[in-house]
Amino acid sequence: MIEATNLTKRYGEKLAVDSISFRVEPGTVTGFLGPNGAGKSTTMRMIVGLDRPTSGHVTVNGKPYAEHASPLTQVGSLLEAKAVHTGRSARNHLRALAATHGISDARVTEVIEMTGLESVAKRRVGGFSLGMGQRLGIAAALLGDPRTLILDEPVNGLDPEGVLWVRNLVKYLAGQGRTVFLSSHLMSEMAVTADHLIVIGRGRIIAAGPVQDIVERGTRTSVRVVSPQATQLAELLTGPEVSVTSTEPGSLVVHGATAPQIGEAAAAAGVVLHELTPVQGSLEEAFMSLTQDTVEYHSTMGHDGSAPLGTTGQEAAR
Amino acid sequence: MTATTTDAPTAGADVRVTFPRLVRSEWIKLWSLRSTVWTLAITAVVIVGFVLLITWGMLDANEMSGSSDDVNALDAFGAIRYLGPTAVAVLGALTITGEYTTGMIRSSFAAAPRRLPVLWAKGLVLALVVFVVTALAVAVAASLQALIFGGQGASVDLGDPQVVRALVGNALYVTMIGVLAFGLGVLMRHSAAAITTTLGILLVLQILFSLIPWKPLQDLTPYLPNVAGSQMTLTDAMIEQQAGFTGSVVLSAWEGFGVLLAYLVVVLAAGAWLTKRRDA
Repeated sequence: MIEATNLTKRYGEKLAVDSISFRVEPGTVTGFLGPNGAGKSTTMRMIVGLDRPTSGHVTVNGKPYAEHASPLTQVGSLLEAKAVHTGRSARNHLRALAATHGISDARVTEVIEMTGLESVAKRRVGGFSLGMGQRLGIAAALLGDPRTLILDEPVNGLDPEGVLWVRNLVKYLAGQGRTVFLSSHLMSEMAVTADHLIVIGRGRIIAAGPVQDIVERGTRTSVRVVSPQATQLAELLTGPEVSVTSTEPGSLVVHGATAPQIGEAAAAAGVVLHELTPVQGSLEEAFMSLTQDTVEYHSTMGHDGSAPLGTTGQEAAR
Repeated sequence: MTATTTDAPTAGADVRVTFPRLVRSEWIKLWSLRSTVWTLAITAVVIVGFVLLITWGMLDANEMSGSSDDVNALDAFGAIRYLGPTAVAVLGALTITGEYTTGMIRSSFAAAPRRLPVLWAKGLVLALVVFVVTALAVAVAASLQALIFGGQGASVDLGDPQVVRALVGNALYVTMIGVLAFGLGVLMRHSAAAITTTLGILLVLQILFSLIPWKPLQDLTPYLPNVAGSQMTLTDAMIEQQAGFTGSVVLSAWEGFGVLLAYLVVVLAAGAWLTKRRDA
């Protein structure tokens, strides 16, 4: 359990985290979603006491992190890839961290095996790829078999197999009753990994709740209708709450009415339907609509997610 | 992993942070870096090598000039206070700045979020290792000196407590400079800055002070960290002799030790205060 109350961090002029309050519950995977620079990493660093909050406070399992007698069994954290001395081997890095808590070398071997680092454990970390660095960071986070895991962008630099591994690992750990708090700017990853979401933008929480709720709140569910009498149906449905658009002849996209409502309205008017499909909005759309005003670094072209695909030859050449 | 509760799962009851464990962790950290072995090896080789070289040089000069006086074998250890601390200063600074530049410090402070015990454990391990290595090097140098040049009267008298104090003082001085570099590293968090500052204090300040003809600077010279600390490497007789020709204040061995210790306390206290306050 992580509880933040009015947590604020100011770096000089810049307000990185602006009085946020949230709870991360045990037994679930909670995603911390936001664009780059939104304050995710700063928040996570404050949770484990690396950054001192400008105001507000945060507790882990009931106490400020620094007041726990054995921090590594309370919280395992992966805060940045390679928070590791480059001149030391992976095994020695883990041994040194384990030694602070009296954690055995057997456990060090165990986490090396769990993270698939056996073949490189004796190599110096300086030569590690981003993916191996991430695995080592996750190994370090697991050392104390912690009740709470805080993972900042854990899938960064991992290959598809690694991404899947992290996804299954965090679900498994949450299934054991642990608290898992996971940040990412990859919405698609969050959609399949997280149960709950906290969406942050420009240091403020924009939305929080079950993934499903966020998606519903951030997107308008629509219904696709195919009918030979599309025009007639469109006239029938359009009203103050309902909007109907048409992308091709005979096909309608209806916002503001559910599939059963449309079906019944069609039946009552004797309109033939060939297709009636509720279209769920994606987390991508929800995220974009939620964070539209809060994105820190706007790209000059197409941040709505559709434009960059094959717009100009110049773009494609990159 | 079979645990299914929210209680700390496989961790035994005794899994927690203690100071001896932090010391053990720092011990592992220190010895798992190549820079440690290199800097300590260089220090030992420099100490043994120069003591022997200077002894040989002194005997040779004596012979050339036809002097019948015995050489003072302890003088050969005088090089240690100039050459010994250099590599150790690098080691001392890197011990902490290496963690800041690589990001390791975040792992260290996440494991031990009270932070200051990490610093003390680091400083302690550094000081112990440097002291043991330099003391051994001095002992080896003294033994080889006696073995090779003893027949020509050039060997230190280990029965003389003053000589023993001066020899141990060499190891202590080198160790304290290593800790000074460590303290500056804690303050600056930057390898080049900490190493340069330490070497500047060791090599430049005294020369600078002597070049500027301003009395207060000359009065301060004996209290410079390296000047004060070096008194530990001398016997009382040598200090008396020194007082004869400098004419300014000359600190005793223990006063010098005290002055250098005071610098360490100030630098480490400032470093500790900042470490506690700063974001890692």
